[in-house]
Amino acid sequence: MGSFCEIQIFDESRIHAKKIAHQLSAEVSRLELKYSRFRDDSLLTQINNSAGNQTGIKIDSETQSLLEHALNCFEQSNGLFDITSGALQKIWDFKKGIIPSQSQIDKVLPLVDFHKVSWKNSYLFMPQGMQIDFGGIVKEYAADSTARLGKSLGIQYGLVNLGGDFSVIGPQPDNKPWPIGVSNPKRKHSPIATINLLNGGLASSGDYERFFMHEGKRYSHILNPKTGWPNSGLRAVSIAANLCTVAGSIATIAMLLNEEDAKAWLQDSAFPHVYMDSEENVSGFALKEGALN
Amino acid sequence: MKKSTSQSIIALSSSALALPGIALADAPPTQSTISYKISNYQEDDLSRSEAPFGELERYDIDVHQFQLVTPVGRNMSLQVAANYESLSGASPWFTSRGLDGQPVVNLSGASGINDSRTEVSIGGRYYLENGSFGGNVGYSEEDDYRAVYFGFSGERHYNNNQTTLSAGFSHSSDDISPTDAELFNRVREEDKRSNSVYISISQIINPVSSFQSALSITEKSGFLSDPYKLRDIRPDDKTQIAWSNSYRRFFVSANAALHINYRYYHDDFGISSHTSDLSWHQNISRAFRVVPSLRYYSQSSADFFTNIDDFSTPNTEFQSSDYRLSAFGAVSGGLSFIADMGTWKATLTAERYVANEKYSTYNVTEPSTALVKYSRISLGVDFTF
Repeated sequence: MGSFCEIQIFDESRIHAKKIAHQLSAEVSRLELKYSRFRDDSLLTQINNSAGNQTGIKIDSETQSLLEHALNCFEQSNGLFDITSGALQKIWDFKKGIIPSQSQIDKVLPLVDFHKVSWKNSYLFMPQGMQIDFGGIVKEYAADSTARLGKSLGIQYGLVNLGGDFSVIGPQPDNKPWPIGVSNPKRKHSPIATINLLNGGLASSGDYERFFMHEGKRYSHILNPKTGWPNSGLRAVSIAANLCTVAGSIATIAMLLNEEDAKAWLQDSAFPHVYMDSEENVSGFALKEGALN
Repeated sequence: MKKSTSQSIIALSSSALALPGIALADAPPTQSTISYKISNYQEDDLSRSEAPFGELERYDIDVHQFQLVTPVGRNMSLQVAANYESLSGASPWFTSRGLDGQPVVNLSGASGINDSRTEVSIGGRYYLENGSFGGNVGYSEEDDYRAVYFGFSGERHYNNNQTTLSAGFSHSSDDISPTDAELFNRVREEDKRSNSVYISISQIINPVSSFQSALSITEKSGFLSDPYKLRDIRPDDKTQIAWSNSYRRFFVSANAALHINYRYYHDDFGISSHTSDLSWHQNISRAFRVVPSLRYYSQSSADFFTNIDDFSTPNTEFQSSDYRLSAFGAVSGGLSFIADMGTWKATLTAERYVANEKYSTYNVTEPSTALVKYSRISLGVDFTF
């Protein structure tokens, strides 16, 4: 998954726990092999290579369900959360810090529109040049799917952490919730808040990992699919929800909204959350028991 | 955002819950739970002015309830329950006119009633991908009363578990054989049957609120009178209809939930009633919860209610002085403390109930003199293993 992953499970038998841990990590690997953008042999790469193909590409029901969820994210965010933003990422080089010209952006923008993707009778069709990226969806889904598998295999206590996307199998062995430290984007090892997670999941999104400064202005890798320019809203968001997949979608949408709308969106979601705004102030709220500290 | 956030979140949850790794069959319990609950129900005694002669002490009931719920295989659960009640005191025997012309109550028996009731039931439930169905059978026995009952119910989730439809049927067949029947010229052996159907819909409105509405119809037939009253003649057929609604809302900032329930009831004895209750479930910490609750009840009287038994009318004319058939209202308040330690959970509840004809919103032509006030206290312990 290209990041630190950890599965904690507690069982009376060490051998049984180990066996289940293997089954769970196999589920994570299965989804990584299937949906990684960086692997030539993944289904997602095959899908992206099929762009422009008149006959489309055959997709399975899991991929179809992920597309349905992505469509929901697209519609609920009024088009801001768009998994076809891939083409924009190609012209913005955050490593070299080069700003593309407006004409370059204008050329790519028509390739970003999830409504141009269609799927029917297990076949997916998308226009030439379009790229799908399940960022903000598939890692979160893998966390939930792995936790759900652990539960169905009889594990009562455990937690799945896929690079900061958490999904609870069950509470800690003493029935206490899992304290999840939300790290400070600027100082990785000093948590700015703790959200106690008893069930469901927690996901984070932030612009601190990839951005560059140009003439005193900050350019983040969170690109607005409508304008093609970086969004300058919140710096980082962590939110707990009934599922890690839902938390991931809410967090990604929050990062794409302007700062005021993002704060209202998080507040109205009624889920425990913490965020860092553009002034680097930390706020949010959590249930009393899981108070921010 | 133009759309409401909560609607957006429901939409996002719906499509996420439909993902194959997350969508899961309706789950049976994965652990066994043993529960035991003891309750004491005590009616306030009558005063001498209400009952110039005989017994003043009304019912005092101790109830012991035991229940075991356990998974069987991957898709089934089994539930076994047993109740034991011991009852002492007296119930209104007949009403008459006192020296001042006001109705007075005469309680049954020189030494009151001592009885016990034992009930056992067993049920099972089978869980499918998007619902469950189950059934139960039970038997209840007292000195003078035996009941055999069974029921079926099923529920199905729609709309990614946002909507649940459920329906059920139950039947009870009861035999009544009053004690000292010869001595007091009571009926010897009677029976009654009851059939009930219900349908219910529950809907999740948003992540913090839900609504449920249910309609039930019950048809009773047979001996529906009280065999211990000197004069109690009721129709041998009764149709009851009840419409129940409940709304739940969780307040994140208060870490508490509000429950509001309302029920409308009507039967062809002529009784209509409204019940509304409010409770506030306040979490103190993850392990402790306090629940204050308040209930208001108001009913109209049965068409044949009388507060002074009339022994001059023919035996075919309906009449009853049972206070439960009079027009009255009642207010009750309760307080529960819940400690949930994961594997075990304890619930302590205290409740006070006061019925009064003045509380009724209906027209009270003949107030009953036998309305009850009671206190109830219960302690329950659940252990999960």
